[in-house]
Amino acid sequence: MNIIGLGLGLFSFFIIGFGFVWVIRGEYYLGYLWWPYPLLLGIILIIASLFVSPIWSALLGITGASCIWGATEMKEQAVRADLGWFRRNPRPKPAPPLVEVIKKIHAPHL
Amino acid sequence: MLQLTGLWMAVATFLGIWWGHVGVRWLEAHSADIRPPALILIVIGIALQIVSLFASNLTLSGVSSIVGITLLWDAFELYRQQKRVIKGHAPANPNNPRHAAYLAAANSHATTEDLLDREPSDPTAQTHSWQAANIKNQKSRVRKI
Repeated sequence: MNIIGLGLGLFSFFIIGFGFVWVIRGEYYLGYLWWPYPLLLGIILIIASLFVSPIWSALLGITGASCIWGATEMKEQAVRADLGWFRRNPRPKPAPPLVEVIKKIHAPHL
Repeated sequence: MLQLTGLWMAVATFLGIWWGHVGVRWLEAHSADIRPPALILIVIGIALQIVSLFASNLTLSGVSSIVGITLLWDAFELYRQQKRVIKGHAPANPNNPRHAAYLAAANSHATTEDLLDREPSDPTAQTHSWQAANIKNQKSRVRKI
């Protein structure tokens, strides 16, 4: 019997659940223009997963994939806040580094 | 040798979440009754957990458990998607008799329009309410001085 696989399934479940939380908070405090940074973090985590032991590799891979998905959700979350479906932060949000470049790229959404 | 376990888990997680969004929307919009697809998702989800328990290697075991658990969640998500359609937060499919009934109901909020299909406002710009609050604040500060 392979209990570790089930553990990884549960881990992905909680990481995806945490994704809902950080996307909502991230959009609220930082704004959706920060999307390339979780995307980059996800890619770095997945690359790092190539060089560690199998269990750590699995945990990093799951976390990285969830970060990448979260990055694609931030723009939609901003629209939800605009529509009043979520709390909208009335404060102007901090511009991310390289904001002018980011504004030129179409935020990915699936 | 590169450790490919994590890459497989990443692919499983990403595709699991992708299907959880795109597939669930499609299934809910095309099912006259969401109970049969929900039941199928639950059965496959549990079967994959059993596959995971008896898989011979970590990669297969992890991938089946991850995909299985996302499918189990998708069964629940079908109900949440149905609620979104009723609230008008997701577009209704007029060709689906269940959705047509939502659209025809009295005081219905359901709509065929996809309200999320638009660009968000600029997050770095000041909103009017915030500007107004700032001006009010400054005035009260001036008065104190």
